[in-house]
Amino acid sequence: MRRKVLLFAALVLGIGLLGLAEEKAPCVIKLGAVNPLGDITGDQMTKAMRLAVEEINAAGGVLGCKLELVVMDSEFNPAKAAAAIEKLITVDKVDVLIGGMSSGVHMGEIPILKKYQKVTVWAGAASHVCEEALKGCDWYFHLHPWDYLQGASEREALEAVFEKYGIKVHRMFVAYEDGAFGTISYQGWAALFKDYEVVGESFKSAAVGGGDYTAVLQHAKAENPDLFLWIGYEADALPIMEQAKAIGFEPPIFLGAPPGWPAEFGKSPLSHGVSLFAMWAPSLKEVNPVSKHFWDAYIARWHEEPVTYFAPLGYTNVYVVAQAIERAGTLDKEALIKALEETEYLSPLGEVLRFSPSNIIKHQGFKAQKLLQWQNGEQQVIYPFELATADFIYPFHFGGE
Amino acid sequence: MPALSCKKRIWAFAIALLAVAAVIAVCKPYVLIQGLQRGGLYALIALPMALILGVVGIVNLAHGEFMMLGAYFAYWMSVSTGIDPLVAMIPTFAAFLIVGALTYYGTIKPVLKAPELNQLLVTFGLAMALTELANLLWTSRPRKLPLPYAYSSATIGHVTFGTFGFAYLAGALVLLLLLLWFLRHTRSGQAALAVGQNPRGAALVGIDVNRTYLLVFSLSVALVGAIGALFLVGHSIFPGVGSPYTLKSFCIIATAGVGNLPGILWASVGLGTAEALVSSFRGYGGWADLVFFALLIVVIMVRSYRKRVT
Repeated sequence: MRRKVLLFAALVLGIGLLGLAEEKAPCVIKLGAVNPLGDITGDQMTKAMRLAVEEINAAGGVLGCKLELVVMDSEFNPAKAAAAIEKLITVDKVDVLIGGMSSGVHMGEIPILKKYQKVTVWAGAASHVCEEALKGCDWYFHLHPWDYLQGASEREALEAVFEKYGIKVHRMFVAYEDGAFGTISYQGWAALFKDYEVVGESFKSAAVGGGDYTAVLQHAKAENPDLFLWIGYEADALPIMEQAKAIGFEPPIFLGAPPGWPAEFGKSPLSHGVSLFAMWAPSLKEVNPVSKHFWDAYIARWHEEPVTYFAPLGYTNVYVVAQAIERAGTLDKEALIKALEETEYLSPLGEVLRFSPSNIIKHQGFKAQKLLQWQNGEQQVIYPFELATADFIYPFHFGGE
Repeated sequence: MPALSCKKRIWAFAIALLAVAAVIAVCKPYVLIQGLQRGGLYALIALPMALILGVVGIVNLAHGEFMMLGAYFAYWMSVSTGIDPLVAMIPTFAAFLIVGALTYYGTIKPVLKAPELNQLLVTFGLAMALTELANLLWTSRPRKLPLPYAYSSATIGHVTFGTFGFAYLAGALVLLLLLLWFLRHTRSGQAALAVGQNPRGAALVGIDVNRTYLLVFSLSVALVGAIGALFLVGHSIFPGVGSPYTLKSFCIIATAGVGNLPGILWASVGLGTAEALVSSFRGYGGWADLVFFALLIVVIMVRSYRKRVT
C-alpha cells in the first residue's frame, strides 16, 4: 500500500515537473514577410532581415523572447502574395507583418491586410494608389517613400545642387520606356517640372524585347537639352550609355532612373558622372556608422555585397519592429502602435527614421530619395549635403574625358 | 506588254531597292544605318531557325532561349577566364553542338513523326524550362559586359554613328554564304535538303534520315548559341531576352518564304529599315512593332493572292 502511494506521488511530481519545463520553453515572437525571393531585391532584403534577426537574437532577443522570421515568396504575383499573407496570419500566426515590394503586388495584399488588421510595418511599394487604399488604417506603417514624395525630394535635390554648383537648366529631355512604369514616371516628372521645358519620348525597353535606343537618342541630341533623363530598366542602363557615346550624345547632366543598376555598370568607364536617385549607396558607410556595420556584417554573413537599397531597408524594417516591441513591453496592438509612433532609429540608409503623416496615412517613414552620382565605379552621395560623400561632377563627359 | 523575264525582274527589284536606299541615305541617313544594323541582327538570329524550319521542317520554339543560354555561356567564360566574347564564340559553338545533340535525342526525336503541334508544345515547354533554369542559375538580374568596342563610332560628314552593329550584318552575310555552301556543295547539306523535301524518299535512296535531323538540329543550336556570344557584346542579357527573337525569327522566315535562305537577309533588312524609318519620326517609336507585323501580314497576303491567281 505504502509503495503504491509513493509511486503515485512520484508520478504526480513527474507530471508537474514536465509541466513546469514546458512553461519554461523559450517564447518566440514571429515576424512574417512576403518578399519576391526570385529577384535580387527580394533575395537581398530577406538576407538582410535574417541578419538583423540573428543579431537581435544574439543580443538576447526581444522581451526575453527569440525573434523568428517567416518569409513567403510573393513571386511578384498579387494573388500569391495575398494568399501568403493569409497563411502567415492564420497558419503561422505571426505577430507583425513586414517586408514587401512592388505596388502592383501590394494592391493584391491590401484587402487581406485590412481583413485582419494586424500591425504591419511595410517596407516596399511606392504607388500613391496603394496609399489611397489604406486610408484610415492606423495599424499600418510604411517605410518606402510614396511616388509623390520621391518626386518632391528629387526636385528639391536637383535644385539644391543647381544652386550650389551654379548650374542653369532650362530644357530637359526625358526618354522613358513605353510601359506603365515609364509612362507614369514621365507624366509625374513632367508635372513636377512644369516650369521647365520638358520634352519626352518613349522607347522600347530591352526588358520587353527592345534595346535599340538610337532613334530616341538622336532626337534627344537634336534637342540639345541641359539635362537628359532616361527612365527604364536595368537591362537598358549600359546599352543606353554605349549607344549615346557611339552617336556622340553628351548632355551636361546624364540622369538615369531604373529601379536598379546592372552588376557591371560601375565597371564601365561610361558610368563616370551618371547621376541617379536612390535611397542608399554603399559609400554611406564612410559617413554613417550603422551603414558601415550593416555593410561589414552583411558581407561577413552572406559573402556577397548588398547591391540594392532593399537590403538596408529590410534590415531597418526588422530593427524598427524589434525596438518598438521592446519599448512597448508587450505585443498588445495599441501599445505596439504607440511604440512604433515613437520610433527614432538611425538607419543604415543614412537618416534617422521617424513616422509622420503623409497625404493619406498617419505613419509614413522615409520621405525622400538621395541624389547620387557614379564616380570611378562607385555610387557617391551628392545630396542631402549633410550625407554627401563627393562633389557633383558637372558637366558630364564620357569616361571623365 | 510582255511580262518581264526573271532576270530582268531581279534587276528591276535591285535598282528599285538601291533607289529607295539612296533616298533614305540622303533624307534620313541614320535610318539606313540603323536599318542595316538592326536587319543584320535579325537575319543572324533567324538564319539558324530557317535552317531547321525551312530545310528539315522542325519547329523549335526554344530558338531564342538557346541564344540566351549561349550568351550566358559566353558571359561566364568571359568573366571566369577573361577571354573576349567574340573569341568565346568558338567554344560556345562546340559546347552547343553537344547541347543540340542532347536536346534532339531528349525532346525532338520522340516527336518527329507526331503532328507539328506536338513539336510546338515540346519546344515551347523546353523554352520555359530553359528560361527558368537561367533564372535559377543567374537570377533575373541583367548582365552586360563593358566592352569598349561595343561603342566604337565613325563620323561621315555631320553623321556620327555606332559601327559595332555592322558586325551583325557582316556575320549574317558570312553565315548565309556558309549555309548556302553547306547545303549545295556538301553531301550532308544535300542530304538535309533531300530529307526536308521528302524524308521517306530520302531514306529509300540510302540517306540516314535520323542522322541528318540530328546534324541539322545540332548545327542550328550551335550556331544560335555562338550568335548569343556576339549578341552579348551589344546587349544586356537576362533569362527572358531570347523569346522576342524567336517570334521575330518566325515572322522573318514567313516573310521571306520557308526554305528561302537568301530571302531571310532581304526580309530582315527590309523589316529592320521599316522599323527604323517609323522610329525616326518623333513620337512614333511605339509604332515600329506594329509596322513590322503589318508588313509581314501584307507580304503573306500578297503571296497567297499570287498563288491563287497563278
